[in-house]
Amino acid sequence: MMDKRDLGKKIFRWEGFLVVLIVVEVLVFGGINPKFLIPRVLLGSINNFMSICIVSLFVTFVLITGGIDIQAGSIVGLTSIVIGVLWNDAGVDIYIACLAGLSIGMVCGALSGFLVAYTGVQPMVVTLGGSFLYSGLALTVTNFSSTESYKGISGFPAGFIQIAKGKLFGIIPSQLVIFLALVLVSYVLLHLTKYGRKIFLCGVNRNAAEYSGINTRLVVMSTYILSGFGASLAGILLTSYLGTAKTDLGKEITLPVITAVVLGGTSNLGGAGGVIGTALAALLIGLLRFGLSMAGVGTQYLDIPVGVLLILSVAVRFAGTNERLRAIPRYFKNLFPGKDCA
Amino acid sequence: MNKNWHLPREATAILFVIALFLGIGIINPMFLSVQNILLCFNSSVIYTVVAIGIAFVIISGEIDVSVGATLGMTAAVCGTFVRDGNAGMGIVAAVSVGLMIGVVNGFGVTVLRIPSIIMTLGMFGIVRGLIYVYTDGKWIENIPIAYKAFAQAKAIGGLTWFYLVALLMMATAHLIMTTTHRGRYFIAVGDNAGGATLLGIPVAVLCSAAASIGGILYVSRVGFITPIAGTGYEMKVIAACVLGGISLTGGVGSLIGATVGAAIMASISRILVFLGFPSDYDNTITGILLIVIVVADSLLQSRSAEKLRKERLAARTNGMATSSGEAVR
Repeated sequence: MMDKRDLGKKIFRWEGFLVVLIVVEVLVFGGINPKFLIPRVLLGSINNFMSICIVSLFVTFVLITGGIDIQAGSIVGLTSIVIGVLWNDAGVDIYIACLAGLSIGMVCGALSGFLVAYTGVQPMVVTLGGSFLYSGLALTVTNFSSTESYKGISGFPAGFIQIAKGKLFGIIPSQLVIFLALVLVSYVLLHLTKYGRKIFLCGVNRNAAEYSGINTRLVVMSTYILSGFGASLAGILLTSYLGTAKTDLGKEITLPVITAVVLGGTSNLGGAGGVIGTALAALLIGLLRFGLSMAGVGTQYLDIPVGVLLILSVAVRFAGTNERLRAIPRYFKNLFPGKDCA
Repeated sequence: MNKNWHLPREATAILFVIALFLGIGIINPMFLSVQNILLCFNSSVIYTVVAIGIAFVIISGEIDVSVGATLGMTAAVCGTFVRDGNAGMGIVAAVSVGLMIGVVNGFGVTVLRIPSIIMTLGMFGIVRGLIYVYTDGKWIENIPIAYKAFAQAKAIGGLTWFYLVALLMMATAHLIMTTTHRGRYFIAVGDNAGGATLLGIPVAVLCSAAASIGGILYVSRVGFITPIAGTGYEMKVIAACVLGGISLTGGVGSLIGATVGAAIMASISRILVFLGFPSDYDNTITGILLIVIVVADSLLQSRSAEKLRKERLAARTNGMATSSGEAVR
């Protein structure tokens, strides 16, 4: 059982720090460009990076088991183009096409998850192969379409567009509502259910988990299915928001997604982490990118601050246990032994 | 000892290439022309050079996903100098930029203790952004024809000078790795999960330097540099290493394997053309090849490990049976 103080400690340590960072960020960018603080703009900005938030939420599960997932971006594109081709060229109802896209994403995740869990190949290699395979399949699917791939498929019905573009009470973007709902679902799944405990245990010590009667292979595989599901969902929302189905929609999300997960406090070695941290970190990164572009920084430069953030966040987290860094003050102490005595 | 002898992993990779080429040759005999096969190898030169560098990193148990960005950055740096008619300076500048990136990577991994995938992923973003800062988002064009002609210059036997140099690099590095103390130390470090974090800055620097040489070759071979030059090279090169029998857990594999893997990666799109498929299937085939080979390899290994374990167990129980029998008597 988790003690109340433990819970408080946990929230106020890392997640609290992220909240402070977000507030500072909003204030700074608001100072640079007052337009940033208009609620409509601030809330609307969510739409620009929702795919990163959703994908990173579910990639967290994979990282907690000690794996890594670099294929999510390809699944985003594959889902998008499957929906487009099914709707445009096969004449399938758009919502059924979405369901098909979602199941294809989960099948892709399941395939990679199966290979990771049951053959013992490193997750990095499997998902690398997966990223090639699924982005290749996406290109193959476009060949079934009458539209050229670079144009993308557009002209979706208004109801579908409304999924991502709609607004609750005329101000809250529906994507934010969906995101919050997903945060809740994944929080319950990871932190409050037996299944979630199993995921953590698999990450801490897979052998111990296996010996205590957990079907670790199934648990590991299921996390990849979840991340495939998340990527597909992001693909659907992105298609709906942009109004175009394209193969390369998720091409550049690997860096921000892994950054969000790691910055959110999930260990890349597995066994520790949480979805709240990921959600906050994803918002932090998204707002950073949005704020910088509103402050006049070109979008192509935005990978620089994200990269710096990723390296810094991990460096700071590891600093406490890094004997080389701790050796530095000792080194100086040895240089001037007199000071110590005085 | 002799009983458990099996083919070295790079030999399996070479056999696979031969089988692959012969298989394609049966379907389309044109593929087996000397000229075409030479072209397959010649066109793999950039992959080969970068793969040699990253192979060092992977064999020592780490990873570097920033090589594509490093290649793009150094190509841009080299390209601007070459365009202004100063090729020597361009090469020096490109290599020093590569070295700098390598030092930063190595510092992060060894001193700050950041896991290499995270560190290099961060560097990937930073360097990609810096390319835009450096080029201002513009293409670098008008590379002198003389410099571009280097890429086509043939040495003996139809191989380009570039490829020959790449092979020479590979041979030297391979010798260093297998015969010297230090090289064997790298492999040993990769073999030991606990020691993997001991990876020195030299390995990261070596890898980035190889990527910068790849960048210099890129300028000559491609002839123009866009801000997205080198995108996806990191994945292709890692895939090449894996195809060449290098294990991502470290300690297993050789540079010969990396070279062979690079040749496979470079020939996939040509193979597709000869089989009459559009090159759209390039990624699909790469993905399938990668997954199938790695999974098959892993299954074979775990099977042989299981067999060994059973043999050992049987030997031990036999020994125990006789010893307990003696005790009773």
